[in-house]
Amino acid sequence: MANQKEYVRNRADSKIGKIVVDRDLCIGAASCIAVSGETYNLDNENKAVVLDPNAADDATLLMSAQSCPTKAILLFDKSGKQIFPK
Amino acid sequence: MDKYKYVIIGGGAAGVAAAEAIRQVDQNGSLTIVSDEEHALYSRVMLSKPNFFLGKIPFDQVYLKGDDWYRENRINFLGGQTASGLDGVNKVISLATGQKLPYEKLLIATGVRARTLNVPGADKSGVHCLRTLEDGKKIMADLKTGKTAIIVGGGFISFEMADLLKLAGLETTIILREAYFWEPILDEASGLMIENTLIKNGVKIIKKTELAKITGGESIDGVILKNGTVISGDLLICGIGVISSADWVKQSGLATNEGILANEYLETNFPDVWTAGDVAEYKDLLLEENVQMGNWVNAREQGRIAGLNMVGGEKHPFKFISFYTTQGLGLTIAFVGDVAPGQDRLIIPRGSPTLNSYGRLIIVGRELIGATLINRTVEMTTIAKLIENNVDVSTHQTELGDPSFDLKKLII
Repeated sequence: MANQKEYVRNRADSKIGKIVVDRDLCIGAASCIAVSGETYNLDNENKAVVLDPNAADDATLLMSAQSCPTKAILLFDKSGKQIFPK
Repeated sequence: MDKYKYVIIGGGAAGVAAAEAIRQVDQNGSLTIVSDEEHALYSRVMLSKPNFFLGKIPFDQVYLKGDDWYRENRINFLGGQTASGLDGVNKVISLATGQKLPYEKLLIATGVRARTLNVPGADKSGVHCLRTLEDGKKIMADLKTGKTAIIVGGGFISFEMADLLKLAGLETTIILREAYFWEPILDEASGLMIENTLIKNGVKIIKKTELAKITGGESIDGVILKNGTVISGDLLICGIGVISSADWVKQSGLATNEGILANEYLETNFPDVWTAGDVAEYKDLLLEENVQMGNWVNAREQGRIAGLNMVGGEKHPFKFISFYTTQGLGLTIAFVGDVAPGQDRLIIPRGSPTLNSYGRLIIVGRELIGATLINRTVEMTTIAKLIENNVDVSTHQTELGDPSFDLKKLII
């Protein structure tokens, strides 16, 4: 997948090692921002970008990914295994 | 008659977000979701997106929950069932099948349905609204054989459908009753920016007129306008607004206006009955007025808050600045907060159509209440923050009107 942007996360208290935004899927609905404005913003192409991959705790990050109406946010654990969507 | 601790009427974004919130706190209270659609939760907003429509995204991506999610969360899903009545005294919901559903706590999240055309021929095949997955499937099928398309209305459905109809290679005409696109939510300058983009991409726009009738046999072959113009079309898509799905509660004494009335906790006038999502007409604490918002983000957030309040304990107010964005044909359009026109609104333009980047900041009194942004989406979250924090912007009008001024500097 060419149009995916990866953001490495390195919080010690987190099981999540990487946030990926699939820019082909993202439609700029901004539901992720509603859940965690500290983590995400929209760029000039109306796509979600991660401002700070370490800003939110795991439960909030999971909620932000679940809220996405196009499943454009993918979460991976520290061994690289995809956690969401399952 | 099984009594459920939680009954949720409506299986869309708000209803499912409520169920998720309930299950985070109460894992075992019996919970049922009644939905007039057969499907597990799907993405209503994806239905109008070109990548999905044109098959660039696998169709199944539209489903956000599988059957396993309902099972794992011990949610009894009654799909394809319509609620027909509410008895708020005995706390019972009636379904159209005659089945009774007693509840302890009830959420009404029945959403809105598409307003349909009221002209002769509106029942012909090939005439569509876009609200449900079924509507989407029918349009997808017609796209494959159609050569010409007609769109009625000048809002986001119209804009997004025009984009994808052109991508699909159809000759496309938009018919507007209004004087310009997205009137009266946008000003004329913003509307013309959108129109010019559509025209540049080959879309025809006919303004200030309405349909007289839809022509054809069993299927549509065109329309005749009130001014006599004849336009041929193999399909027609109608995006002329929505109607709250609240008729079924009107007999019950539940307080309604356009939508179902609720306070800032999304409580209705009946005990143990909440409402959320597009159908809720709630007291907005930040805008200080009763509003009804129809978008995904708002529905999710309201569902979540209503769900938490249904569980009990500390009451959570719904306090959220809503936003909505769309994009197509090289334009991005974003709405933040309250964008409804009103005489008490002061509008500060930011950027200009000639710069191809134009925002309108909407002020009441000393504070921002909303904004419309064309090609300035990146400012959306900052503006939401300014509204949320009740920032006094009365002495900053020059900065607000300066498109190069960084609005983040005003956040306190």
